[in-house]
Amino acid sequence: MDQTSESSAGKPRSFHVNWHNLLPWLIPVILILIWQLAATAGWVNSKLLPSPLAVVQDGVRLWQTGELPKNISISLYRATTGFVIGGLAGFVLGLANGLSKISWLLFDSTIQMLRNIPHLSLIPLVIILLGIGETAKISLVTIGVMFPIYINTFHGISSVDPNLIEMGKSYGLTKRQLFTKIIFPGALPTILVGVRYALGVMWTTLIVAETISSNSGIGYMASNAQEFMDMETVLLCIVIYALLGKVSDLIAKALEDLCLDWQTKGGAAND
Amino acid sequence: MTKAVVKLSHIYKQYGDNHALRDVSFDLQPGEFVALVGMSGGGKSTLLRLIAQLEQPTAGTIEYADANLVTRVMFQDGRLLPWMTTLNNVSFAAHDAKVQARAKKTLTAVGLAGFEETYPTELSGGQKQRLALARALMADPELLLLDEPLGALDALTRRNMQSFITKICDASHLTTLLITHDVDEAARMANRVIVVKNGRAVFETPGAKGESPERVARVADEVLKVILAPDDQAKEGERLG
Ligand SMILES: Nc1ncnc2c1ncn2[C@@H]1O[C@H](COP(=O)(O)OP(=O)(O)OP(=O)(O)O)[C@@H](O)[C@H]1O
Ligand SMILES: [Mg+2]
Repeated sequence: MDQTSESSAGKPRSFHVNWHNLLPWLIPVILILIWQLAATAGWVNSKLLPSPLAVVQDGVRLWQTGELPKNISISLYRATTGFVIGGLAGFVLGLANGLSKISWLLFDSTIQMLRNIPHLSLIPLVIILLGIGETAKISLVTIGVMFPIYINTFHGISSVDPNLIEMGKSYGLTKRQLFTKIIFPGALPTILVGVRYALGVMWTTLIVAETISSNSGIGYMASNAQEFMDMETVLLCIVIYALLGKVSDLIAKALEDLCLDWQTKGGAAND
Repeated sequence: MTKAVVKLSHIYKQYGDNHALRDVSFDLQPGEFVALVGMSGGGKSTLLRLIAQLEQPTAGTIEYADANLVTRVMFQDGRLLPWMTTLNNVSFAAHDAKVQARAKKTLTAVGLAGFEETYPTELSGGQKQRLALARALMADPELLLLDEPLGALDALTRRNMQSFITKICDASHLTTLLITHDVDEAARMANRVIVVKNGRAVFETPGAKGESPERVARVADEVLKVILAPDDQAKEGERLG
């Protein structure tokens, strides 16, 4: 690596960069090409595995009928609402328990107990209590998102270098400054790891909830299509999950780049 | 004699069974530059932490000339905030224009002009130490506590920084306590050198601040002998001195 960049210093640089940008797309593109080839060549039953092109056409059709935008937006609404509520709750609890011993003593063991219940196992309970309306699905997402954010916020805050806090105190920072200038920025990398993880939980929870009990949303679209053996739509839904997952990952990444630009500077290790 | 800025009387500090400090007494006179030297683990940083009120002594008293004495510590491990630029590390990201201007001036004084927007990870070891020094000087302290401030520097930069610190401390008539294990540095910079050994202040001698290189070498030599001497001889030296 070092040798090649030494000997080929100069013009091949731009090639290097492009090549590195394209490489991640290579495997998905090859897979899709093989899939298309298999479908057109008739190697697989196109009823069971429709071609990528057929899936795209199905997507375009559903987009035009308005069914796809409607279901995507309702899913997005549930996901973001649940994420915001659960994220805020987890963040506030994590802050409180990370900063106050009393709060920690009061809440932590209860939270740890509840955290060990797989939140998807609450689906029957939630359906009985809240029916299959919006509240039910949003609460499931809320619960799923809350714990990873809580744990990471709490862990981030309690693992801020005590030497830096000591320095801040001895340099006369107020409690508030101590928080905004040392504790919070010190905890932020860990909190953002929680955010990224919670985004994943958010989608899985929502999809499962929508698949089991709903009459709208991407998850509903998939389970509905399954009843009609509509493989195109089933695959389309899976592709949409993948895309939504990728988009939320990109958002998390952008957030990290924005908030943690200091980590990427200089020679120190970042991981 | 004027009133001491800090006066330590019969200080003991224990960490569990570990006696970090045993019966240490000394004071710092206004404008005085005192160096603490001694081998690793002797208790130098502990003394500094007690003076900075970061910890409480197990026994003994520390009196301050002024209850609101502005004290700044330059820590042995830097303790820069990695998420803040150089300028913000000095000003603690204060938005106040006056603070910012002062921070810039202080950075210039330590030779970090032009590095305002740089992050600590992008600085060299010596630059980091100068940044930590700038931060300590920001509040115009009356008492400056330096814990091995020049540890990571090459010989030449080290000499420059030594005269730089001496100049700043003299200019603002700063009372300074310097911890170092470089006896030359101690002899060259201090009005007074104290040897700390196994938790005791075993020896005290006038430094050679502003004096000839020969004098510096002689003081350094004398101090080094005490540091290297077996324990009982060190006590002997104290009695003789
Ligand atoms: N927080 C602490 N807990 C327990 N023991 C400690 C603590 N701080 C210091 N000590 C002990 O006190 C003794 C003196 O330590 P100190 O840091 O003061 O030494 P030092 O003279 O500054 O050494 P160095 O030159 O290596 O910095 C050591 O034996 C150390 O292990
Ligand atoms: Mg030390």
